[in-house]
Amino acid sequence: MNRTALRPLARILEARSRGENPDAIERENLRIRHEQMRDRARTRAEGRLLVLGIMFFCAFSVIGVRMGTLSASVASEPRAQATGASIIAQRADIVDRRGRILATNMETHSLYAHPQQMVEPVRAAKALAGIFPDLNEERLIKDFSGKRKFVWVKKKISPEQQQAVHDIGEPGLLFGPREMRLYPNGSIASHVLGGAAFGREGVHSAEVVGTAGVEKYFDEQLRDPAREGAPLELSIDLTVQAAMERVLYGGMKLMNAKGAAAVLLDVHTGEVVSIASLPDFDPNDRPRPPTEGNPSDSPLFNRALQGVYELGSTFKIFATAQAMELGLVNPDTMIDTRGPLRWGKHSIRDFHNYGKSLSVTKIIVKSSNIGTARIAQMIGAERQKQFLGSLGFFEPTALEMVEAKGGKPLLPPQWSELSTMTISYGHGLSATPLHLAAGYAAIANGGFQVTPTLLKQSGPKYGPRVMRPEVADRSRMMLRKVVTEGTASFGEVRGYAVGGKTGTADKPKERGGGYYKDKVIATFASMFPAHDPKYVLVVTLDEPSENSGPKPRRTAGWTAVPVAAEMIGRIAPLLGMAPELEPGKVAGITLTAN
Amino acid sequence: MSYLEYTVKAVPSGLRKVLYLNWPLALLLTAVASIGFLMLYSVAGGSFSPWAEPQMKRYALGFVAMFLVALVPIWFWRNMAALAYLVSIMLLVFVELFGTVGMGAQRWIDLGFMRLQPSELTKITLVMFLAAYYDWLPMRNTSRPLWVLPPILIILLPTAMVLKQPDLGTAILLVTAGGLMMFLAGVHWAYFAVVLALAGGTIAAVFQSRGTDWQLLKDYQFRRIDTFLDPSTDPLGAGYHITQAKIAMGSGGWTGRGFMQGTQSRLNFLPEKHTDFIFNTLAEEFGFIGGFSLLALYVLILIFCIISALQNRDRFSSLLTLGVGLTFFLFFAVNMSMVMGLAPVVGVPLPLVSYGGSAMLVLMIAFGLVQSAHIHRPR
Repeated sequence: MNRTALRPLARILEARSRGENPDAIERENLRIRHEQMRDRARTRAEGRLLVLGIMFFCAFSVIGVRMGTLSASVASEPRAQATGASIIAQRADIVDRRGRILATNMETHSLYAHPQQMVEPVRAAKALAGIFPDLNEERLIKDFSGKRKFVWVKKKISPEQQQAVHDIGEPGLLFGPREMRLYPNGSIASHVLGGAAFGREGVHSAEVVGTAGVEKYFDEQLRDPAREGAPLELSIDLTVQAAMERVLYGGMKLMNAKGAAAVLLDVHTGEVVSIASLPDFDPNDRPRPPTEGNPSDSPLFNRALQGVYELGSTFKIFATAQAMELGLVNPDTMIDTRGPLRWGKHSIRDFHNYGKSLSVTKIIVKSSNIGTARIAQMIGAERQKQFLGSLGFFEPTALEMVEAKGGKPLLPPQWSELSTMTISYGHGLSATPLHLAAGYAAIANGGFQVTPTLLKQSGPKYGPRVMRPEVADRSRMMLRKVVTEGTASFGEVRGYAVGGKTGTADKPKERGGGYYKDKVIATFASMFPAHDPKYVLVVTLDEPSENSGPKPRRTAGWTAVPVAAEMIGRIAPLLGMAPELEPGKVAGITLTAN
Repeated sequence: MSYLEYTVKAVPSGLRKVLYLNWPLALLLTAVASIGFLMLYSVAGGSFSPWAEPQMKRYALGFVAMFLVALVPIWFWRNMAALAYLVSIMLLVFVELFGTVGMGAQRWIDLGFMRLQPSELTKITLVMFLAAYYDWLPMRNTSRPLWVLPPILIILLPTAMVLKQPDLGTAILLVTAGGLMMFLAGVHWAYFAVVLALAGGTIAAVFQSRGTDWQLLKDYQFRRIDTFLDPSTDPLGAGYHITQAKIAMGSGGWTGRGFMQGTQSRLNFLPEKHTDFIFNTLAEEFGFIGGFSLLALYVLILIFCIISALQNRDRFSSLLTLGVGLTFFLFFAVNMSMVMGLAPVVGVPLPLVSYGGSAMLVLMIAFGLVQSAHIHRPR
């Protein structure tokens, strides 16, 4: 747009000629120019205002629409799990194979003091000593009236105690929230779970760390926030575990044993369904490790996993099985059992004199040391070593517990021919009840090596084959006969066709060489049902003595076997196994009509 | 155009001014404030104390203040603009040094009978000063870089101080209102385009950097931003307000639960129910119809401001009127978006309805200025 000239010459000259003041023209033009400028500004301002108006309109529309959608929405309460991440326990739960809680967390409070903020330190100390009898009053008074700025009073307190402390009304006594590990089942599966303790502690929270058992073995996994508190699923069955512990405890008392252990293993998956060691403890209040005495007598000691024992005649079945596997014998081969069998200055004897010879089956049924030793001689040291090694007897078990590596088998320094013979009937090689259970599982499942595990499995998990199925089959028939007509006759449980082998080993003296005459480890390794085993059960009693007869009876047949039988009778229904007839025994059926 | 150029004689004088007051606007303001009284009465459980009665007194005081401000010629206020701005800056400094700490932020000066919040005052003085600046500045200089700089500083100075209190909501309002004032005054498009592009680029860069090795913010800062932008990820923590507010609106439906029947506010589920979140109480008790009516009233107020500004040939008056309308709009738009979960919760009250002394008083004074501009417009 052209600017208006302020003093157009033509008009000015014209005005001058007419005698008017030309300044009026300039004023006039100035006004016009101003108006033009103002109009331009106005146009622009109106444009801007229009843009703004459109923005306003959009804002109004959005707000109005939103108002409408919200009004039309259905009111719903927020769900709490959206915030879960921050609330979820810092440590995952541990559950059994059916999802029942074995270990969880509980919110609790710690109690601490800021002595500098205290009004009446002495009164507070006295009141605290009244609430918590285990606190030392003098010490508290000293702590509270000294120069200290911070004093831990209690690491975890109950709500009632918290209320009582609150009622003291002392502003210098403060509570901090924290989580503690809770084992709702008390001592059940205590050795498996181990225990947990506070790690780094703060006023507002405390770290919970595993101190033993699976809690320690899986510590990192349990604390891993990435797993979002997904529980750790163990292979343990809580009901079976509870029943096992109860029967084992009763058996231990009845047989006057000082300790006992039992393992129930699924022969196909390697899952440890229950594992118990007595005496036990409460993981909620885990005792301190003993500073004196024999550590293996402490309740913390896991006999099933850490206790290495000479397991006695239970080993004999491995010798016969290997001999059958190698084709050296069959169940009916007659073996010379004349005794005693002398080897150097040692002599091997049997419990009874079994005459000139016994079949291989009978050697197992009657538990002949001499017969087994002769079979072992046929096998030889090297092949025996290889076979026992393949069953896992040379290494600690791989069970997922920190204590597992403490259960390293004791082997003879030199595997002499004598060792070969003694080991064949379970002397000279010490292993844990769990080792034994894994070895028996290989016979029970048809010849596959088994690795015991504490984690729930989804299906069968077999290791490499260690014997032919026929050998395993024949071995099982022998074991069944041990129960029906041999040393484990108390082991018969109607409907469950138990098969197994007893083992009674004299305990070695702690100091010096030799063995106790009156202290034994009695073991019964069993499987049920023998014709198609699903589970292997090993029961071990430490120093049992059955005193109902004129003389104390210590052999496994009198001690471990009845305990195991009672256990199977209780456990099998819990495992969902109905009693069934043994195949091949149908002859006894009576048909009745009424 | 300056007021010196128009015929002052045509401007009403004395009590005649009362006749020329923008009465519809005054009535609209009273209507909105009355809705506020009603809601405050309701959230107190059917009681005038503790909120409705003081609020009514303050409104009366505010109305008188508006009246007095309106009667004073607009050119006086124009000459006072710079001074008012300086005073409010000084009050901000004062509050920084001696203010009362409340709700985790230092915002108030305790005057005895009321608590003055200088950041509220700043919203008006800033608009006034910018209007005066652009009235004084010759048109042709509007877009020259040298003359664009001062208003930017004028805006950023109080913003920085308010941000330090910290009061993010007010800071955002100040920057937005100031920027829009410059836009209305006719500053060239390019400036706004550059600022918007820079801001957008920075934000994009920050978010792009997430998870790369040149990450510009720490992880926890990103997480805070996440919750800030989307509180629904934390419905019991930072998102609690919003979740409850939405429930209140949903339970209100189209027609509402009826006066004094709102459960969310009555049972104290709704936090800040008498201040920032009062709109939800309204929506719960009177439903969509009630909420929309309030929105309509606000829109009418804004429209009256715009009409008044369009009719006014005086640059200061028209810019001031638009600025006040703008601030008012930002108040209720931000508040409503916030309580309906459209925007993050930043703590902006609903104008004239939320319980609060200084906000109400300052707003009424601002409308006094609008009225003064209306009465004393050149004819």
